[in-house]
Amino acid sequence: MSTEQDASRARALASLRVLDTPEEQAFEDIVFIASQTCDAPIALISLLDTDRQWFKARHGLDVGETPIDQSVCRIDIDDAHLLEVTDLSQDGRTHANPLVTGERTFRYYAGAPLTLRSGEVVGRLCVIDTTARPAGLSDTQKTLLLALARQASDHLELRRIARASERMAELQTALVEIGEHIRNSPDASQMTHAAAKIVGRVLNVERAGFGFVDDDVRSIDIESDWTAPGTASIAGRHRFEDYGAIRDHLARGEPLVIEDVLTDERTAADPAAMQAVGVEALVNMPVRQHDRTVAALIVNSAHRRIWMPEELTFLRSVADRLEAGVARFRGEQQQEMLNGEISHRLKNMLSMVQAIASQTLRDVPDRRPVETFEQRLMALSAAHDVLLQKSWINADLRTVADAVIDTVGFGDRVHMAGPPVALGARAALSFSLVLHELMTNACKYGALCRENGRVDVGWSIEGTGDDADLVMHWRESGGPLVVPPTRRGFGSKLVRMGLVGAGGVDLRYEPTGFQADLQASIRHLAQA
Amino acid sequence: MTGVEARPIVLVVEDEPLLRLFAMDMIEEAGFEVLDARNTAEALTMMETCAGIRVVFTDVDMPGGADGIALATSIRRQWPKIAIVITSGKPWPIGIRLPEDAVFFSKPYRQDRVIATIRDMAG
Repeated sequence: MSTEQDASRARALASLRVLDTPEEQAFEDIVFIASQTCDAPIALISLLDTDRQWFKARHGLDVGETPIDQSVCRIDIDDAHLLEVTDLSQDGRTHANPLVTGERTFRYYAGAPLTLRSGEVVGRLCVIDTTARPAGLSDTQKTLLLALARQASDHLELRRIARASERMAELQTALVEIGEHIRNSPDASQMTHAAAKIVGRVLNVERAGFGFVDDDVRSIDIESDWTAPGTASIAGRHRFEDYGAIRDHLARGEPLVIEDVLTDERTAADPAAMQAVGVEALVNMPVRQHDRTVAALIVNSAHRRIWMPEELTFLRSVADRLEAGVARFRGEQQQEMLNGEISHRLKNMLSMVQAIASQTLRDVPDRRPVETFEQRLMALSAAHDVLLQKSWINADLRTVADAVIDTVGFGDRVHMAGPPVALGARAALSFSLVLHELMTNACKYGALCRENGRVDVGWSIEGTGDDADLVMHWRESGGPLVVPPTRRGFGSKLVRMGLVGAGGVDLRYEPTGFQADLQASIRHLAQA
Repeated sequence: MTGVEARPIVLVVEDEPLLRLFAMDMIEEAGFEVLDARNTAEALTMMETCAGIRVVFTDVDMPGGADGIALATSIRRQWPKIAIVITSGKPWPIGIRLPEDAVFFSKPYRQDRVIATIRDMAG
């Protein structure tokens, strides 16, 4: 019996996930029927592991397993035929077996192979008697025993399929959970950590992590990995060649699946590096982009283990999703950097316009227009700052107002009250100029040119849905007696353009204080 | 005390030539003596060789390694008495503390406020 076949049998057996599981009625029934059919006191479903035979079901025997060298079932196991020994004490293969010579005094044995669909024989359904039976089983009994063995094998495989589909449902749930983290995490490292934690939990391993590999697939940068309590993190850069011949698989884009670092040909030569980080079994699942391996999901187990096909499928899905998630974050980051850069240049350009104007107009004796120009530039720039903080998507009205008022001053005498209102980029810029004009007018002619003067700015939303309007009231009080202006300057035209450049403005020069009512559709305000 | 008191010196650090010229002009107009540097390294050399500098007016984003924030930090460490005005086209970075006795202006800045601040600092 070759050890290679034994190892292959042990693998097939392990993938059935049946060893050391509790009693199941279907198998108990089979051994009972076998014992009755063959009129034998003992019947067993014996599974042949590498170092023991383990009984999935037993009738008439009080032990659950025996060492493999006491197994009668393993004799000629690879022949896949019914094995019958009419007198164990007379047979050269069994006469010295402790089960024969000892107090159990086994004398008769008949065992039918448990053959899986793959052809692998994983054990036998056997009947045992304590007295020799020179006549052996009848042909009918043999046929029935073989049929029962087929039933047992089938049931072992069906059982495995049922377990696998339960497992797949479990893994599917985990995948959904990971998807949620990928969508909702605020940054890439929290996302990979959350995903690694779920992978670690559902696979019951000691460590899981995700990392990008360098262009030559020589090393990997593992981001914040998840580890079980008592297991150290391996976050950081690792060279593949330090851990064995594990690189080529990844470079080719094939998953690296190692069940036991001590026996796997890629790591067996020097498993010390793997063992040093507590790895006995592992999966490195590559992520491909444009025919190139760009990243890998790594899963480490501190015990040798067989990785099931559905687990590998699961890991592939997780790896793909993580890569897409990280790529999205990188895209956003790049976009943000680009926005920042463009904005920075735009503001330098505004500064240069300011510089050129200032130099060009330095000999103009009347400083007021020059100052007005500079201040209008500031108001625009202030709105720009607020927009930039939201990547130019929208800006809050109050935030823009605060920024503009800050460029003019007297903020302590302007009292604002109103709900949050989102301004699109265009509305934010025109609103900043309108507000700036109102402020400078108040400083020059209105309430803010007297120490006790004040401005109340209130706004509210009237109507709902698409018909909702923003209504803003500007009320000055405590200033000098108001005299309506005799001519309309550019500033006043600016104000009359209104909040979105479409009017909706009512200006009243009440003797007690200037008043402005501004109205605009919320929908227009929010448009970019 | 009969000697004419020297005008306080302001060092302008800005890589963009037009903006440097503009800032120098603005500060000179306000009655200060002005020196200029195109980057952090030049600025530090000047700080070491010229004793009379009272205020450093620096941009944040400059090519060649260390930026205006780093410059401000090393000035604060080596010359604790020199005041610093920092200006940038970007908002002040979140999570970084402005050095002590430093004032930040977003570009474009209001000239009158910058000058008032420098006057205040130069005492």
